[in-house]
Amino acid sequence: MHISFLIHNAYGIGGTIRTTYNLANTLAEHHDVDIVSVLRHRDEPVFTPDARIRLSHLVDIRKGSPGYDGDLEAYRTPAKVFPSAEGRYAQYSALTDERIAAHLSALRSDVVIGTRPGLNVHIARQARRGVLRVGQEHLTLDSHPKELRLQLRSVYPRLDVLTTTTEADAHAYRQRMRLPGVQVQAVPNPVPAPGIEPADGSHKWVVAAGRLAPVKRYDLLIRAFDKVRRERPDWRLRIYGGGKQKDKLRKLIDDLGLYNHVFLMGPAHPIEPEWAKGSIAAVTSSLESFGMTIVEAMRCGLPVVATDCPHGPGEIIDNGVDGRLVEVGNADAIAGGLLELINDDALRQRMAGAALEDSERFDPARIAERYEDMFHGMLTRGGSLGGRMRGSMHRARGALLGGAYAVRDARRTVPTKGRLA
Amino acid sequence: MTAVFTRGTLDGAEEATTGEPQPIAPRADCIADSAGGLTFDVTDPGEAGAAHLLLRLRESDPPVEVRLPLAPAADGSLRAALPSSVELAEGRWNAYAQVEGGEPRRLVPGVNDLRSLVDRAPSGSRGHVAVRIPYATKQGNLSVRAWLRAPHTEVGELRIDGTGLTGHGRVYGTALTGAARIEAVLRGDVSRVLRAEVTPAGTADFGFALPYAELADAEGVWDLWLHPAGDEGPRIRLARLLDDVADKKPIFTYPATRVDCVGGQVEVGPYYTNDNDLAVRVSATAVGTSGA
Repeated sequence: MHISFLIHNAYGIGGTIRTTYNLANTLAEHHDVDIVSVLRHRDEPVFTPDARIRLSHLVDIRKGSPGYDGDLEAYRTPAKVFPSAEGRYAQYSALTDERIAAHLSALRSDVVIGTRPGLNVHIARQARRGVLRVGQEHLTLDSHPKELRLQLRSVYPRLDVLTTTTEADAHAYRQRMRLPGVQVQAVPNPVPAPGIEPADGSHKWVVAAGRLAPVKRYDLLIRAFDKVRRERPDWRLRIYGGGKQKDKLRKLIDDLGLYNHVFLMGPAHPIEPEWAKGSIAAVTSSLESFGMTIVEAMRCGLPVVATDCPHGPGEIIDNGVDGRLVEVGNADAIAGGLLELINDDALRQRMAGAALEDSERFDPARIAERYEDMFHGMLTRGGSLGGRMRGSMHRARGALLGGAYAVRDARRTVPTKGRLA
Repeated sequence: MTAVFTRGTLDGAEEATTGEPQPIAPRADCIADSAGGLTFDVTDPGEAGAAHLLLRLRESDPPVEVRLPLAPAADGSLRAALPSSVELAEGRWNAYAQVEGGEPRRLVPGVNDLRSLVDRAPSGSRGHVAVRIPYATKQGNLSVRAWLRAPHTEVGELRIDGTGLTGHGRVYGTALTGAARIEAVLRGDVSRVLRAEVTPAGTADFGFALPYAELADAEGVWDLWLHPAGDEGPRIRLARLLDDVADKKPIFTYPATRVDCVGGQVEVGPYYTNDNDLAVRVSATAVGTSGA
């Protein structure tokens, strides 16, 4: 199969970018894969794509680059195709409209995958007949503004497949968006096995990682840790990540006198070795569209104490088996969950083992197989769109039938330029 | 308009027409052991000849270098070991890979597995403390931060209240006596010295208390020293070195306290210096908030 990804900016850093590389790298073992980045703002991508993947861009915004597009009039003219209520609208333009349209009208892949709502709209409206149109939603329907939901509603029926990261979100799309003929399917994000030994559970550290943003509710985690510290002063908390809430959280730590127990570590890439320094992971968000950090921590052998927030945690954690789900917004409940695991070494070790095992279902090899089965089914069935599987599908048949993907190694997504906290 | 492919083209012929690909900097994964040793796994530079990992002490003239042979490892990378027995002077060491006859190429960091450095508690039996923490520089290159201190005073938890700073520490490479004390020395005016009591708990562990009232009379930075045997023995900087955090300053931070002084009020608070030594800063209160 020839599979083509369309992504906002493949040269940056972020959850969708990492997820796309993890999936694309794995699919590239058996298929022709390219990644087309709408924007390019730097020379080298932060994540290294597999050597078999073709990476390209449509609009060059590197100042001083010979192909610099930022001076073009069209770059300054607002976009018409890209939906105006989309979060990235300001970065889109008549130039992106034009270049994406030209790219899609020339694209002869078997499958094209959009990685955000605005690009899904382009694909729904502009991909050639015979190309399987796949839209990925990395956020949730609930988190889209009403205006965007309306804009998507009129266009998404033209997709063949819409994927969400959770069953709960797939359910929401099926119930509320009326998408006749569109296969709405939950496919979790792939998370590779870390390239390091799992944590051994001996370090008395709780670890959290994510942007220091209000939705992550690190204020609650810090308050919860105040209770933990009273009972178990030998345990401490590291929070990795940067963000606007840093000063506020710093002040909270100081006000509570937690400066010997709670540390704001700053951003860390890669994060895996930092998980491995802990024995419990904590996620206290009020909303997690998927819950990537939960899976990452589990793959490093950490049981996760997480708030049972919409949508991801409850679909990832088997409560009481490989982690603990606690009430959203409740510092006492978070402290209780942490102390349960802190105070019972055997339980913690058992959950750690289960976390390692249960998180294997997120391995890129497994996730790529789910996509592949789905594409294969759609393309061979293909009746409504008429013989779209001619050509390159045949080339991939051997791979399809024989294809077991190698278990992944985290090194593939290690940034080419590392950064320490 | 079609996409312009910029890297990873499918066939080699196409790649050849796009000119030489940019050389990718060799990358090193580091694993630390609890004894202070480091293992570097370097992506194979792909050139023939004996290869070395080169550590070069920054700002050393003539350059101080440590060369470690890079030997093929099972996974196709090249491995070099820096055992704790190889001394690295205190400072920042830039890391390079060098193939025989070639120029050293700066390494970029891959995965630094430093879990065994977390909460390190060396026995102290060797009389010194050796610390090497690999880290990514601001430019994204690999360097190793090293300390070699004999003797050494490791600072533990600190407590701050309205009147001063209390804390715990442990000495390595020497013993505490009943005459032990801490001295705060004003940076830039070493004649200004304040003494503080220490409370030994055995021959290595101690508690200390540093009242802010006297420190508050001089704005500036007070560096803290332990005199484990009073006037008789050495003096040792108070520092925090025994973990995986190369740069403590932005992570181990402490609240400042407003303290009365001769001219009104100042803010006093402990911090870790760029060398991870403990100091106390006395600074003017923010304008407009004094007297609050």
